[in-house]
Amino acid sequence: MIGRSTDWLLAVAGGALLALMINYNSLLARHASPLHASWVAHGLGALVALLLVVGYARVVRRPGKEGERAKAPWWSYFGGVPGAFTVVLAAVTVNGGLALSGTIALTLAGQVVFGIVSDYFGLFGTPRRRIVAGDFLVAGSVLTGSALIIFGGA
Amino acid sequence: MIGYLFVAFFNGVVVGTSRATNGRLSSAVGPFKASLWNHVVGFLLLTVIIFLASDWHFAASPPWPAYLGGVFGALFVAVNSYVFPRLGAMNAALLAISGQMITAVLVDFLNQGVTPTVVRCLGVVIVLLGVYLSRVTNARRDKAEKDAGR
Repeated sequence: MIGRSTDWLLAVAGGALLALMINYNSLLARHASPLHASWVAHGLGALVALLLVVGYARVVRRPGKEGERAKAPWWSYFGGVPGAFTVVLAAVTVNGGLALSGTIALTLAGQVVFGIVSDYFGLFGTPRRRIVAGDFLVAGSVLTGSALIIFGGA
Repeated sequence: MIGYLFVAFFNGVVVGTSRATNGRLSSAVGPFKASLWNHVVGFLLLTVIIFLASDWHFAASPPWPAYLGGVFGALFVAVNSYVFPRLGAMNAALLAISGQMITAVLVDFLNQGVTPTVVRCLGVVIVLLGVYLSRVTNARRDKAEKDAGR
């Protein structure tokens, strides 16, 4: 169940995409409010995702695959709800005097703690995973390194 | 101030919830459809929020690259939703953070043309060390579970 090297590379590449997304979205937010910037980004993101869905269906034709995959639970369609609220909450903390750097650092820590708890209890239908001492070493390294990058000046 | 610290931390939990939910959808309908649902639902919700805040003014027109965020966002959600169920929540979060932080250093370097500080370079090295350790830790756990299952 633990993925192969390609999954690892993809996951890191995903993080690179995330950094680029944030870079361009903050450029947009300098010309509009964070709320409007996110609204526009979600709208365009929906169009791009639609193109990906249509393009993928054209390239890979696999008829009769219906019912092969597990059915999606109703709540799994609502990932966009917490996704949208993230923008609002980030705007609240940045405007509230917690600088952008502090906001990012704490949000990263929150993500990692969520990941550990989610793995342990198998939340949101993900497989349960044993937490070992090494996990804390990994989390500690990534968070320490991230803190140095965030607070280490540009 | 303490309140804002909590909100920022809680926001990380919200981010995790969104990614876990999209990951679950992805394993049923595929990563691209998961990304589509995420963006459509988020767009509708933000429309409602902007409407309720009656905040409809668009001032200056931004330069065109500002619109690229939506493109990278659609790709990010697809990639992250794909790897999430395969790697587990913690690995998915840590690896995304690693890629994000290292790219952020490169982006700042390219945007501003200033060499990164020694502290930042050290940060990159420690993040990479963490990625390497996660490979080692997971390979070891895999082996232990395999042995235990035998």
